[in-house]
Amino acid sequence: MSDLFQSYDHGRFYDEMFAGPGQPRPHYQRLFDRFGQMDGISNLLERQRTADQTFINRGVTFTVYSDTAGTEKIFPFDLIPRIVPAHEWAVLEAGLTQRMQALNLFLTDIYGEQRILREGVVPTEMVETSKHFRREMMGFAMPRGLFVHINGTDLVRDVDGTYRVLEDNLRTPSGVSYVLENRQVMKRVFPNMLRDYRVRPVETYANDLLNLLMHLAPSHVPEPTVVLLTPGVYNSAYFEHSFLARQMGIEIVEGSDLVVENDRVYMRRSEGLAPVHVIYRRLDDDFLDPTVFRPDSLLGVPGLVNAYRKGNVALCNPIGTGVADDKAMYYYVPRMIKFYLDQDPILPNVETYLSSDPKDLAYILEHLPKLVAKSVNEAGGYGMLVGPHSTQAQIAEFREKIIANPRNFIAQPTLGISRCPSVCGSAIEGRHIDLRPYILNGETIKIMPGGLTRVALRKGSLVVNSSQGGGSKDTWVLADEYQSQSQTQGGPEKLIV
Amino acid sequence: MLSRVANLVYWMARQLERAENTARIVDVNAQLVLDLQSRQAADDPKSWEPLVFVAGNDEKFVELYGEAVTERNVVEFMLFDRRNPSSVISCVSHARENARCVRDLLAAEVWETLNTFYLKLKDDDFARYAQLGSSEYLNRVKAQIQLFYGVAESMLPRGDEWWFFELGRYLERADNTSRILDVKYYMLLPDIASVGTALDMIQWGSVLRSCSAFEAFRRSRRGQLNLERVVDFLLRDELFPRSILYSVAEVEQALLRIVGHSEHLVDNPASRLAADLRSDLESIATSEIITDGLHEYLDTIQARIDGIHSAVQDTFIDYPTSRAKILV
Repeated sequence: MSDLFQSYDHGRFYDEMFAGPGQPRPHYQRLFDRFGQMDGISNLLERQRTADQTFINRGVTFTVYSDTAGTEKIFPFDLIPRIVPAHEWAVLEAGLTQRMQALNLFLTDIYGEQRILREGVVPTEMVETSKHFRREMMGFAMPRGLFVHINGTDLVRDVDGTYRVLEDNLRTPSGVSYVLENRQVMKRVFPNMLRDYRVRPVETYANDLLNLLMHLAPSHVPEPTVVLLTPGVYNSAYFEHSFLARQMGIEIVEGSDLVVENDRVYMRRSEGLAPVHVIYRRLDDDFLDPTVFRPDSLLGVPGLVNAYRKGNVALCNPIGTGVADDKAMYYYVPRMIKFYLDQDPILPNVETYLSSDPKDLAYILEHLPKLVAKSVNEAGGYGMLVGPHSTQAQIAEFREKIIANPRNFIAQPTLGISRCPSVCGSAIEGRHIDLRPYILNGETIKIMPGGLTRVALRKGSLVVNSSQGGGSKDTWVLADEYQSQSQTQGGPEKLIV
Repeated sequence: MLSRVANLVYWMARQLERAENTARIVDVNAQLVLDLQSRQAADDPKSWEPLVFVAGNDEKFVELYGEAVTERNVVEFMLFDRRNPSSVISCVSHARENARCVRDLLAAEVWETLNTFYLKLKDDDFARYAQLGSSEYLNRVKAQIQLFYGVAESMLPRGDEWWFFELGRYLERADNTSRILDVKYYMLLPDIASVGTALDMIQWGSVLRSCSAFEAFRRSRRGQLNLERVVDFLLRDELFPRSILYSVAEVEQALLRIVGHSEHLVDNPASRLAADLRSDLESIATSEIITDGLHEYLDTIQARIDGIHSAVQDTFIDYPTSRAKILV
């Protein structure tokens, strides 16, 4: 019996590790036993220090926006992995694939025939008022018919343990570099446990991404040149940009490195202009081309959109995907799945109220202290209100914002999202987690087994974003169904999805 | 490599070389002043004025410090003042910013060496300089930069990143060695009578030491220290790595390596200018330079080095897109 978990408070949430006090779920039994063999917490804390130092030495850092000095910090890492049994993953994979197919069809439709609008499944004004809808892309023949290539879908588990989609990230989802680095560190810290658990590898991601990018190149180019476009070294995700460029062996460029001549894109090299065929851009639409979008953008490339429209260069993700990850459009994704695929959604959404709907608006305004309200276009935990954790003044202020611009907000019940044991100071305590798998849509749909498990390390906090005190865990997707004594004793774990 | 990245590496090297030579220029002057062995001379504004002129920064100095050309003000200005873009702290700080932007290209140790140096240097001030003594303090600064070069030399792959680094380093060195020679010229200007005296020889010895050239000069068997021999050595020695001729030859080599794999660039303005300057230095007679005016000659050398810099920018970095070669 492990001392480490003796005073662990199971709480009123779904706990990833424990089915009840002192009763680990079958797929956590081995970890529970292994930790039980340690001499208390000190062994674990020593491994935690090793892990932290490894991140510092490897330069795995991010920059905080509000910090004017642009200080680099490590993204806090928690040693206790989130383990996903094979049967759960199979369902997630099917659900995420289904969702990606529907979103791709939706974007194809929106920038083409707009059948879904004509048939009244999604209100036309929802699309037309979306900040991320790009009229410039109407009627554009997207290379390979792929209107979205990379999605980072955020999942949470509710009190029953049901996985639910919290949001899609169809523009420039970040965090995948932490998944790869977390695994490298876990291989050093827990080599035996990783092997014994038969954890599915994540290391092919960079290769899969490069294959996807090559697949997008104009078809007449036999050996396409792919580059990664970054806003620059002071961007908070710059580490990830340079990490992925290195892993794929491609050049990392800034807007000023690219020029457009005769609707073709080149990078300025010391020996001359080298043609560029595919751009993995980590820059929002607004900044891509000052001649089409924001004229004050210094980060972009004048003429890029024309080159793109001529089919001389591919962009990943394409321009205009943001219309589908608008948090109000999220509400309609289950209907899109039904409309385009004639299927029921495998992964349910979180119950959502649209403040643009008068009935929902009345409900939202009445119940705001109990709800989580979000601005539809913001990301990274900015522009949101967690009702139960806010002061009356904050709630009143947010209320005014919603009334002033109802199209701009949604609200959801405060979810009791699942917790996972985490190392907190010198004890192990439950902390809320989510999961962001990365879905690649190229020749086929490929999903990295696992994804980024983010953990809200502040006690009681529900916000997992790195900019708001969140950390991360390694996510272990198991290759085989886990067989253990407790499983034969207690019967197979109920499939909860 | 990307033009922007090439430029960052090029300037990183130039800034560090400039920081090192600024330290050397302050060092040689502090030693020259000591050699004057006179209290009045040490406090005389004329003892420190030349540095400000030689660095080409006199207007900036007057703007910041007025007419008070004291040792303290000049040392503040040249070592610690961030408002002077050529001060040691400014140069090291810029070099570090550049290194940060190209960290992927540098091995971790190369970045860490520079970062550690910067973090130590940024809290230094005149009090620290005075406490350690000019010679000790400046030796430490030089040693840190030498350490960086050593680490870079053993770690950087010999691709474009290395040759743009070398290009920047030696172009800056050629310029700076000419300025170190010029300090002595300014010092002697009011006192032509002392030419050939013991004091004169001590002073030329200091100039050589500031370039770490004293022993090399002796071994070159040029004989007794005098104006012509020292100038000839620092200007035209083929083997000594801080001489102007040697530095320009290295610039020429670096350019050759950079364009080596691009046929369309083999004949380029930067290479032509570097080759012209090298061959002029090889053929000129030092005695004539001195007769015609050393300072004027060094001025033309500096202008030609600047011409090479502009040609480098036009050829590799800021070239107009319309006339650029499209690579296949």
